[in-house]
Amino acid sequence: MTVTRRELIRRGGIAGAGALLSGLLASCGDDDGGGGGSSSGEPIKIGVIADLSGPFTTYGTSLNRCAELAVKEINDAGGIMGRPIELLVEDIQTDVAVTVDKATKLVQSDNVDLVMGPIGSDANDAATKVVVENNRKLLFYTETYEGGKCFDTYFSFGAVPAQQIRPFIPFLQDEFGPRVLLFGADYVWPQRSFEIAKPIIQENGGEVVSELYLPLVAEDFSELVQALRNTQPDYVFVLYPAVWGAALKAIDDAGLSGQFGIGNIFVGDPDLPAVAELAQEMYTTLPYFTVADAPKADEFLGNFQAEFGENEIPSGGEGPPAYNAVYLYKQAVEEAESTEPDAVAEAMVGQTFNGPTGPVEMTPSHHLKQTINLVQVEGDGYKLIDSFADQDPEQDCNL
Amino acid sequence: MAVIVGLPLVSEDAFLADQLGKFFLYGIFALSVDLVWGYGGMFTFGQATFFGWAGYVVGMLTVREVGFLPLPFWVALPTAVAAVALLALGLGYFVFSGRLALRGVYFAVVTLAMAVLSERLANAGGDITGGQNGILFGARLGLPGLFYFDRDYGFYGLTATLLVIFYLLLRRYILSPTGLVLRGIGQNEDRVALLGYDVAAVKRRVLVMSSAIAGLAGALFHVHDGIVSPGAVGVELSTLVLLWVALGGRGTLIGPVVGAVGLSLLNARLSGTFLDTWLLVVGVVLVAVIVAFPAGLFGFLHQSRSRV
Repeated sequence: MTVTRRELIRRGGIAGAGALLSGLLASCGDDDGGGGGSSSGEPIKIGVIADLSGPFTTYGTSLNRCAELAVKEINDAGGIMGRPIELLVEDIQTDVAVTVDKATKLVQSDNVDLVMGPIGSDANDAATKVVVENNRKLLFYTETYEGGKCFDTYFSFGAVPAQQIRPFIPFLQDEFGPRVLLFGADYVWPQRSFEIAKPIIQENGGEVVSELYLPLVAEDFSELVQALRNTQPDYVFVLYPAVWGAALKAIDDAGLSGQFGIGNIFVGDPDLPAVAELAQEMYTTLPYFTVADAPKADEFLGNFQAEFGENEIPSGGEGPPAYNAVYLYKQAVEEAESTEPDAVAEAMVGQTFNGPTGPVEMTPSHHLKQTINLVQVEGDGYKLIDSFADQDPEQDCNL
Repeated sequence: MAVIVGLPLVSEDAFLADQLGKFFLYGIFALSVDLVWGYGGMFTFGQATFFGWAGYVVGMLTVREVGFLPLPFWVALPTAVAAVALLALGLGYFVFSGRLALRGVYFAVVTLAMAVLSERLANAGGDITGGQNGILFGARLGLPGLFYFDRDYGFYGLTATLLVIFYLLLRRYILSPTGLVLRGIGQNEDRVALLGYDVAAVKRRVLVMSSAIAGLAGALFHVHDGIVSPGAVGVELSTLVLLWVALGGRGTLIGPVVGAVGLSLLNARLSGTFLDTWLLVVGVVLVAVIVAFPAGLFGFLHQSRSRV
């Protein structure tokens, strides 16, 4: 009697656990969407790997929303060759290991036609390996980055150093003087970007007085404060995206605010209110700001706010480039009459689009020729100083 | 056990099999924690240190090009396992021997410090650890030129086999006379010591064994993933594995495996469906289960069995 009751409970428990697991499994594997076929009505799948939590939340959210907006507009207008776009969004949590996980899921399980994202250059290296090298699918990277990637099915839509840094350095030197301190987060994007910036600084007769890296989310900025005190630079060139506000606070606490100029290539409009008060001497270059004057910019911002709320603003380094990317993809698929990665990649080159960032063109190097805007902090907003049209990405890549 | 391992054969989904392959390595990782915490009573906040550093060692040895490096994967793998076992041995001498003889919460604090320190080191390691970027692997799992466990069912088969082997080995160990001593230590160290056993030596051996198991799982995991980054050695993963073990039921072996595989699957599933709220959902599920079954799912089954 007791034996059967024991057995009963034990078996019941194991069966229950088994049922739970099989339920999970069943719901995992329910999707084998078609890949390259162009049967009408079947959705084209775009996977988005975005940092919707963690230090890069602002950027990831902006990337995701701008992609969503473009997809919604295209779907409302009849889709791509009559096929609707289906967006599959994954949160990569500002974590490289999660990026690998989610990118693998999108290309292998969801069988998406295109992957967009991520934010960090370290995550981009990982995503390129998974999506482009291991699975030969399209990866559209829409974030500001150091450049240098050269693959058949990899395309970059954000700004690269030749576009953002080359015109910026002479301007900063005229404004503040030749002596610069380079301050960045300790990962690939700042490291490689500074390597590219250094010769540009030298060509212009400038001098790097110090080069300092701190962890992406540092808790202690005394090293930075010390370096500023010791070297007394004319300006600081910053690539410190996640907690730049905390660094500025530390500088201010040390009584050093306003003693040097600041140049950066990442502080978009949504980031600005948090840092503006402590960074009145700051200039930024990015493809998009709300004050920039591309013909389609106002219409884009209006649609964005109608969709996500009237106080919401897209971040200029990654949002509008993602919007451009979706439209360029649509054009390329229509020209290739296929979603097959190699065919789309071939059709991508030479595509032009006139959107929120003004006219852009995909070059044979798979990087985007585009306009870069230079702005200055004024009060708690930006003021447009200059626009550099048709900036060549200057990538050493022939595909 | 058979239920867990056999599941993906039903679905014929290569990606799912691949994902499960990774989760099985998490299962082995959870087994290593069950050994030290579940049976030995040593609550550790630093098990990911062994899991992650093994990945790093394989990465450094197979990717870096200095001196006699890079080494082939099959040389790097045992080296990595030996390296973390050595680390555990050092830790064992430091905390269990002599006048220090740390227990309970003090041992937990030391392991926590180890995890925090590891994450900092990995982050600040410059060209050696790759800092925030981590290390991207070139090596593939398999015998070069002959065959590879790449993705699909190969990797799944490999990890499923390993999981079953480790489960059976540990079960045997736990039921053996030495295992009995370990369980005794978990219940009441002083009594076991009074019986004449060298408690410190047993604990040290178990710690080394568990670190080697965690290290093997970690090395395979990261080579398969193609990347190892600072999160791998840190506090978050160390805590996560405790959750798996607690949820499944510590001191049951099967419980931690089910906890690791089940929760990882749940995680993978929910994060796609409930984009903004998945962490919350996972948290609520965890709290609910732990309140309902304080001894974990399988611990509860054991209890109700003995109560009947």
